Amino acid sequence: MVRMDLLATLVPALPLLGTLVTGFGRRKLSAYAAGGLASAMVGLSFVCSLVLFLGHDGGTHIVHLFNWITVADMNIPFAFQIDALSLWMMLFVTGVATLIHIYSIGYMHDDPRVATFFAQLNLFTFAMMLLVMGSNFLVTFIGWEGVGLCSYLLIGFWYTNPGYNYAGRKAFVMNRIGDVGMVLAMTLMFLQFGTLEYAQIMDKAGSFGAGNPILVMCTLLLFLGATGKSAQIPLLTWLPDAMAGPTPVSALIHAATMVTAGVFLVVRSSVLYELAPYTQEVVLWIGVATALFGATVGLFQNDIKKVLAYSTVSQLGYMFAAVGVGAYSAGMFHVTTHAFFKALLFLGAGSVIHALGGEQDIRRMGGLRNKTKTTYITFLVATLAIAGIPPLSGFFSKDGILAGTFEGHPVAWAILVLAAVFTSVYMFRLLFLTFFGTYRGTASPHESPRVMTIPLVILAVLSAIGGVLNIPHVFGGNEWMKQHLMTAVDGVLNEHLSITAGTEFTLMGITLVLVLLGAWYAWKLYGGKTTLDGEPDDMPFLKRLIARKWMLDELYAYLVERPFGWLSRHFFSIGEDKLAVPLTAGVGETSYRFGDWLRKIHTGNTSLYLFAMMLGVVVLLLITWMGA
Amino acid sequence: MEDVVTAIRVVPLGHYFVLSFLLFGIGVAGALLRRNILIIIMCLELMLNSVNLLLVALSAWYGDAGAQVMVFFIMLVAAAEVTVGLAILVQLKRNAEGVDINQLNRLKW
Amino acid sequence: MELLALLLIPLVAGSILLVARPAAATARGLAFTSTLLTLAVVLWLWYNWTGDAVTVLSRDWVPAWGLRLSFGYSGIGLLMLVLTGVLYPFIIATGYKQPVGDASLVNALLLYCQAALFGVFMVQNAILFYIFFETSLIPIFFLLLRWGGEHKRAITVRFFLYTLMGGLALLFSIAYTTLQAPGHSADFSALAAANIPLATQKWLFWTMFLAFAIKMPVFPFHSWQPETYTMAPTQGTMVLSAIMGKMGIYGIVAFLYPILPEGTAYWQDFVIWLCLIGALYAAVIAFRQENFKRLVAYSSMSHLGLMAAALFTWNAYGISGGLYQTFAHGVLMICLFYIVGMMNLRVGSNRFADMGGLKTRMFRFALMFMLIVGNAISMPLTQSFPGEWLMFNGLWQLNHWMALAGVVLIILGAVYMLYAYQRVLLGPDRDVPIADADDQEHFFLVPLILIIFLVGLFPNLALSLVDGPVQHLLNAIPPLP
Repeated sequence: MVRMDLLATLVPALPLLGTLVTGFGRRKLSAYAAGGLASAMVGLSFVCSLVLFLGHDGGTHIVHLFNWITVADMNIPFAFQIDALSLWMMLFVTGVATLIHIYSIGYMHDDPRVATFFAQLNLFTFAMMLLVMGSNFLVTFIGWEGVGLCSYLLIGFWYTNPGYNYAGRKAFVMNRIGDVGMVLAMTLMFLQFGTLEYAQIMDKAGSFGAGNPILVMCTLLLFLGATGKSAQIPLLTWLPDAMAGPTPVSALIHAATMVTAGVFLVVRSSVLYELAPYTQEVVLWIGVATALFGATVGLFQNDIKKVLAYSTVSQLGYMFAAVGVGAYSAGMFHVTTHAFFKALLFLGAGSVIHALGGEQDIRRMGGLRNKTKTTYITFLVATLAIAGIPPLSGFFSKDGILAGTFEGHPVAWAILVLAAVFTSVYMFRLLFLTFFGTYRGTASPHESPRVMTIPLVILAVLSAIGGVLNIPHVFGGNEWMKQHLMTAVDGVLNEHLSITAGTEFTLMGITLVLVLLGAWYAWKLYGGKTTLDGEPDDMPFLKRLIARKWMLDELYAYLVERPFGWLSRHFFSIGEDKLAVPLTAGVGETSYRFGDWLRKIHTGNTSLYLFAMMLGVVVLLLITWMGA
Repeated sequence: MEDVVTAIRVVPLGHYFVLSFLLFGIGVAGALLRRNILIIIMCLELMLNSVNLLLVALSAWYGDAGAQVMVFFIMLVAAAEVTVGLAILVQLKRNAEGVDINQLNRLKW
Repeated sequence: MELLALLLIPLVAGSILLVARPAAATARGLAFTSTLLTLAVVLWLWYNWTGDAVTVLSRDWVPAWGLRLSFGYSGIGLLMLVLTGVLYPFIIATGYKQPVGDASLVNALLLYCQAALFGVFMVQNAILFYIFFETSLIPIFFLLLRWGGEHKRAITVRFFLYTLMGGLALLFSIAYTTLQAPGHSADFSALAAANIPLATQKWLFWTMFLAFAIKMPVFPFHSWQPETYTMAPTQGTMVLSAIMGKMGIYGIVAFLYPILPEGTAYWQDFVIWLCLIGALYAAVIAFRQENFKRLVAYSSMSHLGLMAAALFTWNAYGISGGLYQTFAHGVLMICLFYIVGMMNLRVGSNRFADMGGLKTRMFRFALMFMLIVGNAISMPLTQSFPGEWLMFNGLWQLNHWMALAGVVLIILGAVYMLYAYQRVLLGPDRDVPIADADDQEHFFLVPLILIIFLVGLFPNLALSLVDGPVQHLLNAIPPLP
């Protein structure tokens, strides 16, 4: 047990140590030293997680560090929960994070603030670990807010650009809107259950009975938090803007790990969601809508990172659709495979951007197939994986979700398949425009250094074979992932796929055919592009509408930002200047006026004073006499 | 001392009251109506002494020496007051060129 | 004995400064030493505190008025004493880097103010409380009048009259309750025993609350605050925001609930909404400010509104959270106003228009500022978070809409604080010679930042101080249904 306590503490502590060392030593450390140190810390953290994972006995262990907040009958410990779910998250997050750290050594080595970059990246890993390891909602919330802050810092890493700063603030504030839900949910749960420990809440929730309004309220509020962090409708517009950050940040935070925190939270509280069918419906349909939304907008983006960002939004929608129908293991499986191939895609995009000296517009790319061979091959693997081509990982994970939704919600299934087709179109469009045809830009492309390509290769392998983690029964697999999570996530126990193998194969076939058609369509349109005008700027109305994310930004500006500014202005001009300040000034004015008026009595005429005095004496005497 | 007391007691107490009130009333009227500060000060003295008269009479009639202590106290105050008052008066006469109280109305904010 | 020392040390030190008028360096050294002494005394009191209320002195002074010399403290008073003791060295130290004028005079005034503040938190008699409450205003009045910024005369007089008006209302209510109290004593214990009918409590509540509402300040009695904070010299603003505002918070616990339990319960919902609306209002306004100091002033008002609302909930979480937060807020305000002062020292104004694009040249400053911003937007593991969490719980126990209104503040807080950070530091590099934080400024900010994270990680250090007394309080005055 002692060893487990130590290891579990080391997992978050090592990246924190890395933050402190690289942060305070940023002047002394060279770019490579800082990067190496930061990577080593996360790597060690990965090793610790691996040891814990391998030594795990399938139970739930609480590592109690100290009592954090103790008031009256409230006691919130600072403790970690080590179980199958948190271990799995720890393992793949630190794993992917290590690769991205190593990649960043190459990607960021020219930046003057590289040590700061690694300090913040390490801090992010620390916060993410708290998020997944917390044994109660409040410790998770530490990480939840922490990753939000790191996200803010890293999006605005190049702080001289006002647009980037705006993007950072937007991300943070939209996350905070979600956090309102999270905080309220925690408050409600604490007052209802008297604790915030996951294990105890899940025990006590059973006594509330399915469909209890309190549970519906809790889960909806929690889900509001999840929509903020995981960029779901309606709080999604920050994610595409978040691409302002350096590309490794986009890969680590805004694709592989942080944005899946919402899914993790739903899986963590699966018991509550199972008891609130209404919320499950909401989660499902929000997920489905977001999947389609992201996929449509992705079709018309010309910025390589923006395409991937919308793709992330869309894929996160899949995950929520999965947990919405109660297919938690499928959701977590997709979280994992998505982390592999989306991190790979972003890193590949980063490699391309690096190769082209900062160019991000795919209209000015093309023909990079031969010039950046490793990047091309790995990117191709990732594209096949995300499109769902067997036997790559994406095929299995996406299939799990589709099979799960088909059972109870065929309409949702159909929309998700449509989104999968769009996914195939925009991903192959991206692939063809970037790597096929002839080069349309002016820079001289070159392959990235080893330190960047090796992580690409490792991730490509993982994206390719990641499917083995959860091979479904129809292919003779044993669904390892599901078996693994079953010990920790009660919701997994309720997963019963009752559709027959035949139906499942049919579904797979339909999806696969449609996806291949999509790829073929993309090839037809973009396969051999040689000219510069990849996509004209003037598009028909519908296209323009979609490309501008259905005018969501404009809508929010109209509904939220402008009224807020108006309110702020008028509170100030009316509330302060016209009401509140006159109140204070009024007290002063009134005293002044009164004194001014009273002063007139003092004429300076002594006779008058004497007379007044006499009068006063007489009056006093009269009063005394009358009283007597 | 005994004969002084007897002498005072010759006059009935009511007469002392009337005289004292008359003197006091003259003093008040003078202080309020006259404009010359010298006269006003004299009127103030008159008022004080009217009180003294009453106190002495009462002291004799009731055989209480306490009132006489009060009389000495008042005389002391009156002496001090006259000293200061006359000094102010002289200064006024020199600086303000006049002792008319209605012209001395600069005593205001 | 220790309490007497708390009153005398600043008084004597201040008087020495006034009479001897030593050179600036000596004056600051003396003032700083005296605040360190009081800090030591306060920590000694804390260390020796057993958990019971302590009465040090209790004898008649002017029995006819119910005025008695009665000194002592409960855990809550002790928390306030600790707050004053801990923050004052920092306030005095601000003068080293950001001097405002004649050092001996300024420090003498600040020390007199400290004595009065200590007095406020240690008296057990309402009239004595009133005396110290108003006395604390006098040094601040002169400080502002002499060394304030633009329009100092008008603003100071306005501020003084307005707060005095509130104070007079308080005096009236104290006099009124004293007449009802057993033995016509104005001791808190006697006042609490006074049997006042509900109808009277209802209006008497406002005469008492007015003084505290103005002092904190709570919407809509706040209008003296932004302009006064903006105009005042940094040290004056620190005293006003970090400590004097807390007298209002303290008043809720010392006066309103003990003396007028039914009356306060009657107005509870209304007042909480007033506080919350004020907090939201201030947060919304803060966003549009063009003046850094004014923005911080509004943010202070926003935080105080939430704290007052939490105290009015009168349940364990609300009171503990609110009291805990007085301390966190004090530290935060010292940090933020110091930062405002640092920027003023460098660019010569408090306006955002003169700042921006400085991060490259002020990297260490930026890091410290970011950590403090983290505290201001109540990130977990900073000092502010546990307090806010408890306050939200307290509010929800009463009414979930109140909790929602409170939680919205964390969005608005992030909106204006991050915006302020961006406008101060970020943006295209500006080519102006500007110095990063120097050693003195590090010595000032780093301890505060350490406090922020230490207490954030182990909030029980401060919560354990209030937990017991709050239980006592709730046992004595149970929350009314």
